[in-house]
Amino acid sequence: MQIAILYGTETGNAEMLAEDIAAHLDAEHEASVSNLADFDPADFRPGVLHVIVCSTYGDGELPASAQPFAERMAAAQPDLSGIVFAVFGMGDSEYSETFNHGGKRMEEIMTAGGATMVGARVTHDASGDDLPDDLALPWIDEVLALAEAALDRAA
Amino acid sequence: MARIAIVGAGPSGCYLAQALLKALPDAEINILDRLPCPYGLVRYGVAPDHQGTKGVIRQFERLFERQGVAFFGGVTLGRDITLEALQAAHNAVVLATGLSDDRRLGIPGEDLPGVIGAGRLTRAWNDHPDAEGDEPPLGRRVVIMGNGNVAIDLLRLLAKDDAEFDGSDLSSARSRAIVAAGVESIEVIGRGSAEQARFDPVMLRELGKLGAARISVIEAHGEGKVVEALQAIDGHAPAGARRSVTFRFGWTPRALLGDTRLEVAQFVASDGSGAELRLECDSFLTAIGFEGGEDLGRPALLTGASEDGALAPGLYAAGWFRRGPRGTIPENRQDAQLVASRIAADLSGLGSVRPGREALARQLPQAVSYAGWQRIDEAERAASPPTRCRQKIPSMSRMLEIARNEAGARPTDTASQKGER
Repeated sequence: MQIAILYGTETGNAEMLAEDIAAHLDAEHEASVSNLADFDPADFRPGVLHVIVCSTYGDGELPASAQPFAERMAAAQPDLSGIVFAVFGMGDSEYSETFNHGGKRMEEIMTAGGATMVGARVTHDASGDDLPDDLALPWIDEVLALAEAALDRAA
Repeated sequence: MARIAIVGAGPSGCYLAQALLKALPDAEINILDRLPCPYGLVRYGVAPDHQGTKGVIRQFERLFERQGVAFFGGVTLGRDITLEALQAAHNAVVLATGLSDDRRLGIPGEDLPGVIGAGRLTRAWNDHPDAEGDEPPLGRRVVIMGNGNVAIDLLRLLAKDDAEFDGSDLSSARSRAIVAAGVESIEVIGRGSAEQARFDPVMLRELGKLGAARISVIEAHGEGKVVEALQAIDGHAPAGARRSVTFRFGWTPRALLGDTRLEVAQFVASDGSGAELRLECDSFLTAIGFEGGEDLGRPALLTGASEDGALAPGLYAAGWFRRGPRGTIPENRQDAQLVASRIAADLSGLGSVRPGREALARQLPQAVSYAGWQRIDEAERAASPPTRCRQKIPSMSRMLEIARNEAGARPTDTASQKGER
């Protein structure tokens, strides 16, 4: 499967996780990693699973590297029907009201364009006991199983 | 191959190593630190009850565990090795030693017992080895001067009850001492208006969760997220609150008064109206910024520094040492990326060969390796009580002893240390 992993990061934690997910998938799939700051909304492709790894910053805002992407999406309003994506969020439950807002915002941005989300949106808690990889790697395996069918339907 | 030494294993030094390895994957990077442990202010500055913020350490661990970066801990630049020797062994040397001295107020009474810098207090609360045995006396009435996030950290730690430190790495002894001080009132004073305060609104809102402190905010007018957050926590009054927190704005400290120790803090209105404020207090905590680096000749080095951190051929600066004591972890990451691209550009097409790590290992046989730090890390986790995530070792000699424990068991340790790296 072709998988484009896109990360939105502020401190680098989401970037590292994106790279770890790519390394986990590398043996059996074609996985690329890009910073959302460098990603053009015109580059979403049908037939590709887009995995968005996005942290939460400040007052529940998108992290710095996702903000220009969100602005480009708002300006371009691309038609994303037929685009398949999954979202893994990162947050800190010390800030409980806004803990999962980064991932949630990304889901909203993508579905607003008509893209289809596969799998559940999961959020890693920096104040919890799990390491990001411990949550994200089993999660991506589940997402892949679901994505196969979704990509077939979209095609 | 480019060989680069970074002095300072704090977030700026570690982010710099990370960015350098993206630009120069084959580079040999050696990070030195004065302490036997890496991570600087992430370990000793980020508050003990903000463990989520310390999660960036996982990125930094990877540098040493997978990306071939070597750690030389317990090494003081200028004492254990000279800058010249470091430069002779590397193609580039980066100073990322931060700023750790408390900025002074410059008013009478500043040296009275009871006047305590935020850096000193933070080091004590975080079990920094420099603060071993330092127990700054707080008393019942505390004034915190400053309107940044350091002030909020101090206030939050003073206002919390022991149970609110569950999951943190604040030592039980320190949290007991804070509670035993019996703090009843905490006044947070800003020189400027609420609109000008540099508080992070998220950290202000977090205060609304305090279980044992009432909050009142005086004269928080204007607009913006900080003012909104201040207004949102104003009037916070949990049942059974044992202490009060008061925010005041627009007061310039004029003098600290007392015979043998601090008794009164005197302020004058910053707006020139001539109004005065007297606060009786037992301690006065200054959270007005940091300075330092004089031992390394920082002011002279920064004269003529480029916008992207070049000080002289082969010599660079990053982080707070370069930019001054401003900016959070993400800002230092960006700064490190900027300095790294400058270094990478300077080192492209590099001709000369330097001995790098091999020379350091020879000149610094006593340095604590990353494996040595891992022994400290393990010991600290193992010693942690159930309500904490870590029990830091507050003594330099004990840290060194644990770090070198394995080396002590094996007489031919130079070979084994090399193997670890």
